[in-house]
Amino acid sequence: MTDLQTAAEAGTVGIERDRPAQRPRRRDKVFGFGFVVPLLAFITLAFNLPLLLTAAWSLVDPVSGSLTIAHYVEFATSSIYWTVIARTARVAFIVSVLCAVIGYPLAYWMTLLSRRGQVIALAIIVTSFWVSILVRTYAWIVVLGNAGLVNRALQYLGVIDRPIEFLYGELGVIIGMVNVLLPFMLLPLYAAMRQVDPRLRAVAYTLGASQGEFFRRVFFPLSLPALSASFVLVFILSLGFYITPAILGGGRVPLIANMLDILINRFPRWNLASAMSVVLLVLTLVLYGVYQRLRSRRGAASGQG
Amino acid sequence: MPRIALAIALASSTALSLVGTASAEPAKTLRILTAGGEWTDAVQKCVDKPFEEKYGIKVEVDTPAGYAKLAGLAQSGNVNVALVDLETTELERAHATGLLDPIDWEKVKPFEMFPDAKKPYGFASTYFSTIMAWRPDAKAPKNWQEFFDTVNFPGKRALPDYPGYVLAFAALADGVEPAKLFPLDLDRAFKTLNRVKKDVIWWTAGGQAPQLLQDNEAQYAIGWSGRLVSKPEIKHSFNQGMLDTSWWGAPKGADPAMQEAAWLYLHEYSDPQKQACVAQHISYTGPSPELDPLLPKDKLSQFPNYKANRDVQFVTDGKWWYDNAATVEKRWQEFKLSQ
Repeated sequence: MTDLQTAAEAGTVGIERDRPAQRPRRRDKVFGFGFVVPLLAFITLAFNLPLLLTAAWSLVDPVSGSLTIAHYVEFATSSIYWTVIARTARVAFIVSVLCAVIGYPLAYWMTLLSRRGQVIALAIIVTSFWVSILVRTYAWIVVLGNAGLVNRALQYLGVIDRPIEFLYGELGVIIGMVNVLLPFMLLPLYAAMRQVDPRLRAVAYTLGASQGEFFRRVFFPLSLPALSASFVLVFILSLGFYITPAILGGGRVPLIANMLDILINRFPRWNLASAMSVVLLVLTLVLYGVYQRLRSRRGAASGQG
Repeated sequence: MPRIALAIALASSTALSLVGTASAEPAKTLRILTAGGEWTDAVQKCVDKPFEEKYGIKVEVDTPAGYAKLAGLAQSGNVNVALVDLETTELERAHATGLLDPIDWEKVKPFEMFPDAKKPYGFASTYFSTIMAWRPDAKAPKNWQEFFDTVNFPGKRALPDYPGYVLAFAALADGVEPAKLFPLDLDRAFKTLNRVKKDVIWWTAGGQAPQLLQDNEAQYAIGWSGRLVSKPEIKHSFNQGMLDTSWWGAPKGADPAMQEAAWLYLHEYSDPQKQACVAQHISYTGPSPELDPLLPKDKLSQFPNYKANRDVQFVTDGKWWYDNAATVEKRWQEFKLSQ
């Protein structure tokens, strides 16, 4: 959200505000905090506590109950776990790039639609949120399967004589994940692009900029923070994907979540799974830290320029 | 003094009645952990519902079952089920790791059962087979060598994502003699799987095997017989299939009142009429030797335990799987995650 705000602020630079900023009084602030306390308590109990327990499990020997780092050692020294983590990172990166490549022009196109057109486009995107991931994932089997719509259409048209294998491999997983995650890219981007003041375009044209120049030098830089924020959001969400690789990967593209499932539900090795979850959490936090760093540096750079 | 005596008498009689309730009076709800799918649907119709009507005890079903789930319940100290559905190796493992209570056969008072269906800590619920199946438009394989021959029998293979249901077949495909299948040669089994893995779709739920064949996603499949044999649009063979048993185990640490209900439930389950009813919905038979006359004649050839089918299959070596569980799991995990 902060990125959207940044984008919004950036987009409204130099435009006079006709409403005075409302500053809440101190007493209101304290009073407002009271409303948040139950929520904070709930989050601590329902989210942070189990997380800490998971972290604790990763350091416990299941037989003797004593403290041990054996699970981390096993994790670090066995190549198969790193294979899965590398695959997860690769798939997450490809999915994020594809979401950006598809989502950015789509969001831009949406901002150019009429008011009514935008409402309709938004409604279509939001409706896909209401359909469960499971249903959407299975729907791909109907669409992309060997006897699915796409393959039958292509065969009918004589483009191919053998069905294309979209599913049950990395390609199927990527298609399914892009489908599920695209709204997470599209909606923030659209919101950010709408915040870009339309008068900037007029100003740029007045100053002699071409359409391409306006996009390159004004519009794209203003939407870049939202783009990178959405990119990191999609990347982080991809890291935890379970259903799509389980169904569309045909058991051949296990990601980290599927590996955790195997360790927890197949071999009862909760402690090793806990250790791996902690590693995943740390990886995600590091990623987030790097992203924050990049962002603040860019902010400083643009401030100087 | 009389008042004290009265108090003691009262207290002891209350205590006695409490003990009495705990061991004799069954709970009003019986929670069981079961495999799910078509088989569970059939059991709910044929066993659970009449049981609820007869005893007024509600049967609550939770899925999936299995050793890992049971171990998880025990580890978290929250054993909230009184019966759990286990495979042969899982039963042995659960017994060896002290997760099971013995079956109280005195209280179960079962109808007649096959002798091998009654273990001190296990009640055989179902005989089932793991067999090969294929689409009618695919070339029919006669044995596992042909089944895993992706050159002469082109097409995708839908295989169980469970080592216990695929490794033995993979070893046979590499030319291991059926008579010398166990101890299982893991190297030769994985050699086959490494050779064909590019053509494999791994399934985890029993219903997927027939579905993948029907959707033409896979041309060949290994699946559980009950899911395959009744579908006319799928070809199958019991030849070199693997005959297996599912068990009910009684988890240690379950609520004693619920366990009482479990013994009543097992009694009902041993009734041949109920097993015949289950067999009408899915082609699996139970532990009753008096079942044959109750089964539909035209469907006898679909049952894993039917003599002609039994003769061409092998019985999996539960002890070997149990003894080698750790090795198998490690190699399976490495194979699956690194592919």
